[in-house]
Amino acid sequence: MFFALDEDQQAFDGAVRSYLAGRFDLEAVRGVFEDPSGDGHPASLWKAAAEQGWLAVTVPEEHDGLGLGLVEAQVIGRALGAGAAPGPWRGTVLAAEAIRLAGSPEQQAAWLPRLASGDAVGAFTLRGSAPGTLPAVEYGALADVVVARSGDGLVLVTGATATPQGSYDGTTRLASVEAGEGEALPGATAEVVAELEARAVVLVAADLAGIAREAITRTVAYDKDRQQFGVPVGSFQAIKHALADLHVAVTLAEHAVLYAAHAVDTGLDGADLAVAVAKAKAGDAAVAATQAMIQYHGGIGYTWEHEAHFFYKRAKRLAGQFGDADAHRARIAELTIG
Amino acid sequence: MDLTYTAAEEEFRSELRSWLSANIPNEWTRPGFWESLDDDESFRLRRDWERDKALAGFAGIQWPTEYGGRGGTPGMKAIYDAEMVLANAPRSVNPLALTFLAPTVMAIGTDAQKKEIIGPLLRNEVIWCQGFSEPGAGSDLAAVATKGVRDGDDFVVNGQKVWTTNAVHGDKIFTLVRTEAGSQKHRGISMLLIDMHQDGVDARPLKQMSGASEFGEVFFSDARVPATEVLGEIGEGWRTAMLLLSFERGASGIAQYTEFRRQYDEVVDVAKRLGRDTDPVIRGKLARVLTDLECLRYHAMHVQTQVEQGRDLGFEASMTKLIWSEPSQDLWEVFDEILGDDATLDSLGDLDLRPLHAQAMWSRSVTIWGGSSQVQRNVTAERVLGLPR
Repeated sequence: MFFALDEDQQAFDGAVRSYLAGRFDLEAVRGVFEDPSGDGHPASLWKAAAEQGWLAVTVPEEHDGLGLGLVEAQVIGRALGAGAAPGPWRGTVLAAEAIRLAGSPEQQAAWLPRLASGDAVGAFTLRGSAPGTLPAVEYGALADVVVARSGDGLVLVTGATATPQGSYDGTTRLASVEAGEGEALPGATAEVVAELEARAVVLVAADLAGIAREAITRTVAYDKDRQQFGVPVGSFQAIKHALADLHVAVTLAEHAVLYAAHAVDTGLDGADLAVAVAKAKAGDAAVAATQAMIQYHGGIGYTWEHEAHFFYKRAKRLAGQFGDADAHRARIAELTIG
Repeated sequence: MDLTYTAAEEEFRSELRSWLSANIPNEWTRPGFWESLDDDESFRLRRDWERDKALAGFAGIQWPTEYGGRGGTPGMKAIYDAEMVLANAPRSVNPLALTFLAPTVMAIGTDAQKKEIIGPLLRNEVIWCQGFSEPGAGSDLAAVATKGVRDGDDFVVNGQKVWTTNAVHGDKIFTLVRTEAGSQKHRGISMLLIDMHQDGVDARPLKQMSGASEFGEVFFSDARVPATEVLGEIGEGWRTAMLLLSFERGASGIAQYTEFRRQYDEVVDVAKRLGRDTDPVIRGKLARVLTDLECLRYHAMHVQTQVEQGRDLGFEASMTKLIWSEPSQDLWEVFDEILGDDATLDSLGDLDLRPLHAQAMWSRSVTIWGGSSQVQRNVTAERVLGLPR
């Protein structure tokens, strides 16, 4: 029994975190937040992401990728969530996953090396259908290729017209994409689409787990020092018990995301249940933890100057993406009640 | 990640399964069987069965063979715990001795204590109680008032213990006694091993809200205990108690998950029989419980990994209690919602609800004993997160 990251994965995790911390911080996030007309695509971060292989993580080695799995990808997803980091990492990785799993050899050769190196930006959505309007596509206006539904299958959309859509979550950029016919991914059976959806859900859940952990870590640090009535507010049992409960919830969300990633990677029985559990738990934990971050910072936590709102707004957006907690609980009920 | 067990562990599983299937009478697995017995009969059946199991080599799974154990791996222990649940094996009659006392004796007992205590408790020849809680010392364990006064080679013990599991059926009790007059808090306490069949020891059952009497009270009036019956050092009983309680930290939760998952499936069955399984509110609440139960399973695998790697979980272990105890209560609250107006009835049509109600009632105790949820939250906040006291 070994339920943990192995040594290589831990080293990878450490490298991702330290690289991100050294080159990108909440001041940089603020820069993106406060420039709503900018592309929300910080060049320094993107270059770092490409150099470190974060975009190439699941791309096969024959296409210049690292050939790793969802377990390693969720490590990156979690770190980006913890940094509230903007940028089209997830869309690019998921577009590559779609092409890896359902693309023709020609499509793979054309796109995978470019997506892996960061030369091309990818986007992935399961809302809307091509031809037609694809709403609120993450980095839809920047993407060189958008993977979208078309009937029961998937298509590659290039050269589409994208109209930016405003969002209160300034850590991303959304766009409405007017898709044409697109180019079919020949292997996109219902089964493959379901697997891609599972992979998308796990990566979003990983981001949420990262947000949740960072929110309580920062709140605990603040409440250890912040004095009221002559003592640190963190000594009050009302706050202690709330933070203890959140720590438990976030820890469980982290376990659930790790398990789900492993289950999808290895095709374990019950992987579909594990994916739904991970999203329901991580979504709830991230919303609760970021709400608590605001509450237990007091008034300062509600200000624009404080970073709590970066995390809260991102948690709110991602909690709904690829199915909210209620939708995943409905799935859990289907799988365990019938 | 490698969530499998070794070949040797799987081999152990199939041996254990064969033994269990040959040695658990069919009627024992019938719902309501154990509830239909009186406490003495239930106790006798369980004691004898568990002795036979020990003699067959299925006890003390991780203990050294020199103490009558099997010398197995942590993986085998996890398999053992889960298989006992899957086979509907009866609950142990000596759980506190097996979990807490034996490893403590192995660690700090005298040679004579090791010889006298470990083998007999493994074979259920001696049934043990734990005498920690007192009417004034529940969560505040150091508020021990039971006194032991030295008289020659003996201590003379006076006082009262409460919430004592097996009080009525116990042969001996490991108990915290204040052996230094006027000492405060955790100083001046000793852990005494007291024969319960002697003059001056009186055990009385306590009837619980479930109707059962698993706990009782124990009264000491001038009970004489030889000074050789101290576990650890005289006056260092607090240290002994902390060592003893640390052995709970290895408990992984895999068995709890197995048990709660079966209970979840039972509750779902009831919902189906009553046509309540299509109600979206009930479905949502059941899914919420299942989410937490699955998370308990992942956490159990995480803990199992730490144990197998020889890492001390330390205070993180206090989380584990929260993680299993609270969802188990949530499940039974949903159960009552499924029953609706009929929630308190003993039966509905041909559906006997009493065994399920018994589990539901029991669930109200699990957030109190062994450190209440409030205490676990304080420990998590202070010792894990580092918030100020």
